[in-house]
Amino acid sequence: MASVTLKNIYKSFGYVEVLHNINLEVDEGAFVVLVGPSGCGKSTTLRLIAGLEDATEGEVLINKRVVNLIEPQHRNIAMVFQNYALYPHKNVRENIIFGLKRAKAPKDLINRRLERVSRILELEDLLDRKPAQLSGGQRQRVAMGRAIVRDADVFLFDEPLSNLDAKLRHQMRSEIRRIHREYKTTSIYVTHDQVEAMTLGDKVVVMRDGFIEQHGSPMEIYLKPNNIFVATFIGAPSMNMLDATLFPGFVELEGQKLMLTKRINENDIPLPKEGKKLKLGIRPDFFLDEDIVGKETHLAIIRNAHIDIIEPLGFDRELDVQVGNQALKARLDLRTMAKEGETINLCFDMERAHFFDVGTEKRLSIH
Amino acid sequence: MNKHAGLFNKMPISIEQRESRLGWKLIAPSLGVIGLLIIYPILYNIYLSFFDVKLTGEKFFIGLANYEKLLQDTAFYGSVLTTIIFLIGTVVGSTLIGLLVALLMNLQFPFRNVARAIILLPYFAPIISVVFGWQFIFDPVNGIYNHVMVEVLHVTDQRHNLIGDPHTALLVVIIFDIWRHFPISCLLIISKLQSINRDQYEAAAIDGCGPLGRFFHVTLPEIYFVLGTLVILRLIWNINKFEDVFLLAPNVQTLPIFTYYAAFTGIIDQGFAATISVVQFLFLSFLIYFYVKKVLKW
Amino acid sequence: MIGKRSFLQNIFLALAVGSVLFICLFPFIQILSTSLKHQFDWGNPSLIPMKINLEAYRELLGFGKMKDAPIPDTIKRLLDNPLITEKKKDEIISKYRSTGDVFPFPRYFLNTFILSASAASISLILAVFGAYSFSRLRFKGRSTIQRSILFVYMVGGVMLMVPLYQMSVKAGLTKTVWGSLLSLLLIYIIQTLPVSLYMLGNYFRTIPYSLEEAAATDGCSRIEAIFFIILPLSAPMLVTVFVYCFIIAWNEFLFASVFIKQFHDFHTLPLALQSLFVSKNAIWDRIMSASMLTLLPVIFCFMFVMRNLTGGLTAGGVKE
Repeated sequence: MASVTLKNIYKSFGYVEVLHNINLEVDEGAFVVLVGPSGCGKSTTLRLIAGLEDATEGEVLINKRVVNLIEPQHRNIAMVFQNYALYPHKNVRENIIFGLKRAKAPKDLINRRLERVSRILELEDLLDRKPAQLSGGQRQRVAMGRAIVRDADVFLFDEPLSNLDAKLRHQMRSEIRRIHREYKTTSIYVTHDQVEAMTLGDKVVVMRDGFIEQHGSPMEIYLKPNNIFVATFIGAPSMNMLDATLFPGFVELEGQKLMLTKRINENDIPLPKEGKKLKLGIRPDFFLDEDIVGKETHLAIIRNAHIDIIEPLGFDRELDVQVGNQALKARLDLRTMAKEGETINLCFDMERAHFFDVGTEKRLSIH
Repeated sequence: MNKHAGLFNKMPISIEQRESRLGWKLIAPSLGVIGLLIIYPILYNIYLSFFDVKLTGEKFFIGLANYEKLLQDTAFYGSVLTTIIFLIGTVVGSTLIGLLVALLMNLQFPFRNVARAIILLPYFAPIISVVFGWQFIFDPVNGIYNHVMVEVLHVTDQRHNLIGDPHTALLVVIIFDIWRHFPISCLLIISKLQSINRDQYEAAAIDGCGPLGRFFHVTLPEIYFVLGTLVILRLIWNINKFEDVFLLAPNVQTLPIFTYYAAFTGIIDQGFAATISVVQFLFLSFLIYFYVKKVLKW
Repeated sequence: MIGKRSFLQNIFLALAVGSVLFICLFPFIQILSTSLKHQFDWGNPSLIPMKINLEAYRELLGFGKMKDAPIPDTIKRLLDNPLITEKKKDEIISKYRSTGDVFPFPRYFLNTFILSASAASISLILAVFGAYSFSRLRFKGRSTIQRSILFVYMVGGVMLMVPLYQMSVKAGLTKTVWGSLLSLLLIYIIQTLPVSLYMLGNYFRTIPYSLEEAAATDGCSRIEAIFFIILPLSAPMLVTVFVYCFIIAWNEFLFASVFIKQFHDFHTLPLALQSLFVSKNAIWDRIMSASMLTLLPVIFCFMFVMRNLTGGLTAGGVKE
């Protein structure tokens, strides 16, 4: 087990700078997820830690030791690749123990480790097969096995589940959690899937265009996104961003006054007379149907939203509605009687709403 | 550059630098061999073309005399003409026949893979062996060609030595070269044909195209590029062709054979031979340049 | 392709395929047929020998009854001279015997085999590292190298004939057998190296990088990754490239005729066959059986690597 630190990392490919001043601290035994859209630099960051790429500037530390000039084979890391990267000419057993054999580990140790790993990952019956004879999920498990058998300081995961179908992905997600609980090895996990990020990480690092936009626990990021990008990237369906104007005591949205709660009001920021234009962010899950909850005074209400489409999703139904000139999504439970083409009054708790600056797109700390 | 990069070998160096050094180390032996035995000889050849070179290695500078001699040599022009006829005949022939056979071999029929393998045999078989097969076929006394022409079809009443006669020998050489090289054209065209989506044919059929229309509207545009590549590559290869011509009919003097005779037989004049090679090389470089620009599009 | 073929169309297709195959195979059949025929049968257009004649094969392969060349009377008289030592006598006799030995096929076969196999091996070894370098490592100058390789790959041997010969003369290599053989070996290496580099480079590029990266995290250096991962994965392609180079060298005539013509014992098969063809010993059955025996190893290799070869050729271009 080891800590991993990135200090002021810059990385350029030719003249294109892809990472700008990345600083990251991964504690011993932590599970950190790097998440962001493709091209955000998350994989490059991982490859820098692995030693597969050079940092153009800055330092990579593993176990408080600068490893910039140390080749990957000497960093004692294990990596799980997106395409699994199993050696096609070796069978499962040889694939798993290849690293141990390279490290000249004694035979009985190799056997012990192999036995344990194949038990944990349920690979016992597959040991003599070649990768080509395995299903996607099995290959994934072998790739995991190859990583954990070596007792490496750090596990690196590069989008390991993106080639699996939804059901297997769900299953492997829990498997990875279980393995981490068992081995407690420092893990860094790269994904573009925010669900994986939320469910796996102790800590989530959201990246975009070579910058770290925000890091923190999954709940922190979900509940207090730093800016519009993080707010819309994390959470599905993604957060509604509505053009609104802030006045003392209320927010105006498409001519409707939405009252602020007392606590927010006390925290007010200096406002011009004509109000401050901003983005009002509300997650679709936080809407309630007024007909169901009844009149609750502490909730803000968007009235006469016109329902375009209702998608029944089982327990939930997702509504595409129109308020004035703005579209938004709401996810209500099946008790709602709303029908397509009719109107609905949507309530929400203003304390669950977010305010962002129109220009900087940063969070306004109203609460 | 990494700020940790060492200035000296002893100092630790970055992963990038290590990779770059390894790259040069691994390619160095190949580059050495290629540089010494291909690039240097090409330059040395140009140098030699200004000398009177003896087989023993002695040489005397004679300036452009070799070039003057070449330009006044009627045999050289004859050889250029022979080369041009040879090139046109073989390039057109091997590409067209390659295309026809590829279309045929792209149809579904039993044992298609075996058939495809068999047609590659002429290309891979040792030239020296197949040459004798062909010599025998055209042998004036025993050959099947004369038998068919004279005794069966009565086209002529006299047996001809087609390979012995320089005029007809060129034709035989062209046919032989087509026989040897259409398989490779065929192979490359087939691999392209296989990549054409079936839907395109079905769409064309629905649009009312018959088999011929489908060929011109779907197949031809798709393989156009491959055909172009084949033509230019065949030109490049065949300019250099020696064995196919020399072993079957030494009396057909394309440029390489002309050079060979000048360099190693009769009145040996290696400087002159070098000069012919230089001229040939210039033409070849032009073709390669054309290939690189138009086909590979660097 | 679209719709079903009618019976007539099927007949036509069968005829077309049949005739293409026939044209491709006819010269080979002719060679086989003539090699098995007696002299009286040569002019007979039928491809099936009236009577099988294996004499030529027996003779070439060095078993069966080898006709001893008669020693001329003048030499016999010379041998009777008591002044000549026993050793000298044997030498003279064996000299005559060896000219009687018209075509030592096994010897030529071995010459060609050793030369081709060495050239192909060296070329392959150089190409493995070279191709790995420019196809998988990032460094300045790599694209220039790739382009130069494509360029030399298209420059034919004929153009290098004079300068290479002059270089060997200057280096003093043409004076001795071994020097000449070394020249020839080097020439076969450069004739096959560009195509090997090209084919292997294209193949290596298809191997996912993550395999090597996995090997690196498993503790392999770059060189170890080549040996443990890249080479085992490329095994079929390595065999293919080897065979392709082998065939190029096996078939080569031009440089062999330039460099080792005067060293009869070291002739390669193409050179020996050509000499046989123009010599007084030219008999069709002998030429044809020698051709047949020269063909066989190539056909054998060809069947062996057929599948990969066609793939490699279409992906990697071809070299002649």
